[in-house]
Amino acid sequence: MEPLVRVQNVSKIYPRVHRPGERLKAFAALLAGKPTVSGAEVLHDVSLEVQPGESFGIIGENGAGKSTLLKILTGVISPSSGHVSVNGRVAALLELGAGFQPDFSGIDNIRMKAALLGMSARRLDRKMDEILAFADIGDYVYEPVKHYSSGMIVRLGFAVVAASEPELLITDEVLAVGDESFQKKCIRWIERFLEDGNTLLMVSHSMYQVQKLCQRAIWLHGGKAKMHGEVFPVTQSYLAWHEEKNAAERRQRRSLKGESGQYRVESLQIEGWPDDGTALLPSGSSLKAELVLKSPDGRPPVALIGVMRADGTPVYGVASDYDQVQPLALAGDSYRFVIHFDQLPLLPGTYSLRGHAMDPEGIRLFDTAEIRFSVGGKSREMGMVQLPHRWE
Amino acid sequence: MNPISDTFFRQMVSRAIRRDYLENVTGFALLFLQPLMLLAIYTFVFTTIFKARVAGDSSVAFVPYLAVAFWPWTAFSESVLRASGSVRSNAALIGKVAIPAEAIPLSTVTAAFLMNMAGYLAVLLVMQLLGTSLNWPGLLAALPLLLMMFLFSCALALFLSALQVFLRDVGKILPPLMTFWFFATPILYSSSVLPERAAALMKFNPMAWYVERLRDFILFGNFELSARDLAVPVLTLLLLWAAHRFFKRVSSHFEDFL
Repeated sequence: MEPLVRVQNVSKIYPRVHRPGERLKAFAALLAGKPTVSGAEVLHDVSLEVQPGESFGIIGENGAGKSTLLKILTGVISPSSGHVSVNGRVAALLELGAGFQPDFSGIDNIRMKAALLGMSARRLDRKMDEILAFADIGDYVYEPVKHYSSGMIVRLGFAVVAASEPELLITDEVLAVGDESFQKKCIRWIERFLEDGNTLLMVSHSMYQVQKLCQRAIWLHGGKAKMHGEVFPVTQSYLAWHEEKNAAERRQRRSLKGESGQYRVESLQIEGWPDDGTALLPSGSSLKAELVLKSPDGRPPVALIGVMRADGTPVYGVASDYDQVQPLALAGDSYRFVIHFDQLPLLPGTYSLRGHAMDPEGIRLFDTAEIRFSVGGKSREMGMVQLPHRWE
Repeated sequence: MNPISDTFFRQMVSRAIRRDYLENVTGFALLFLQPLMLLAIYTFVFTTIFKARVAGDSSVAFVPYLAVAFWPWTAFSESVLRASGSVRSNAALIGKVAIPAEAIPLSTVTAAFLMNMAGYLAVLLVMQLLGTSLNWPGLLAALPLLLMMFLFSCALALFLSALQVFLRDVGKILPPLMTFWFFATPILYSSSVLPERAAALMKFNPMAWYVERLRDFILFGNFELSARDLAVPVLTLLLLWAAHRFFKRVSSHFEDFL
């Protein structure tokens, strides 16, 4: 099937145009047909395809290039290199009130926007009541748009877009502006829109919304595609990356210095996986970990083992002395602890396993080792662990 | 980018009309008032102070002579001046929604022409009522001329509005240039009073050809045209084609410079 949207190796460089000299140079380069080479590169070699009937999410931090990509897709700006093709009837809801003329009334702006979306005057007349009902802003439609609240502007914009019966809807984070009931109305509309076999391309910071509405996603980072594919792995990696980033910031703030004393962690391993954080366990599988501690005085130390989310939120921790477990003594005053978590109830995401060395009394903590692992799978459940439950 | 749809273009024109003309207190009246005031001023200056007469033809009074050329000129200069800044002043629209950018200068020119042509018609009627004999079949023949003038304005508007995005100085230089062009065009005078060298130069001014043909058609009922008269319409169409190509070439980069 012919893809509805095809983006091939698209890059966007904004030329430097602030000083008159730079402007002149950039203009001369443009006239000479030379590609822009110097300037701010906001997108680098991005490719994606969206099939008819699919819904596709674009995620990433602020400034990652999401809005620029949407602007290129809608033809507002042209890429510096690469190729873009978009087929079908497209409607876009980008920035708040984009294309609205503040001095004109809501009705006038509806006409303008409808004309931009390719609606004929006659079709608009037929649809006008529907649009006004959807926007639901009462007599405000006769007021100049500059008197509108941001929510009213979004209502008006969405109402016209909905009436234009697009095949491809492109939205930026605009729906977040509307109030609760209008957001619900929009989501309901989008769901029905998708059921009818239409296509959605959305930018959102709500991973919940992306997972709920989209099948595939692209994660943009610094103008490049960091990950691209099925929605769940992409959103999970994105969230994990955020958690990690936050945790790293926090660690830096605290400048946590581990007390490396007498009792040390020699090794920590998840059975069957290297200790470089690539361990990927299917949801509900079992985890077996081995912790080897070194004792300076020949007395067996206490082991504390815990699982936490990538951002450092503890999930569960247990010490060997709670369970009155004795380690296996190895040569050279080393002690081996092995722990099994059967049917790990963790939800998909990135976690870390921590092993601590404590003194034999289980009072002071001496050393820490950490190993990352991921739990894979597709689940729309929320939180960290799956609680056993039943519905009635 | 989608081609300009009729509905969209009509919206743009009506928007331009309302924005540029109807937001004043005087509204439509201003449309007639402003050129009438100018006409009155020029009439006073040229007939009372300078005692100007139409050279070579004493059968035509100065005021109709001036008026027939003055309104089309106003349509031309006003539309080019307004349109040349229109892309920059609509930066918000261009950077946010995908619109065929050429609709912006073209709708501005269309609005200015529609408004000024309404004024032109009104003034012609007033003059006829006041006893000037106009050549009404000539007026019909003037329609293609006015259409060509409109296309000439479109060409300049496309070129200048795109250029102004990149070179902002255009907006500053254009008004004095337009004033110079006004005096370099036989609107207040007849080119027959010019010294030989200036009259030769006048051949390179397309606007001179337009206003003189308008006078020939409407005032004098003189429809004689030679093959040489094809030059300006052909030039106009070539210019329009080139300006459109230039606009298309650079318009996808507007956002980078606005």
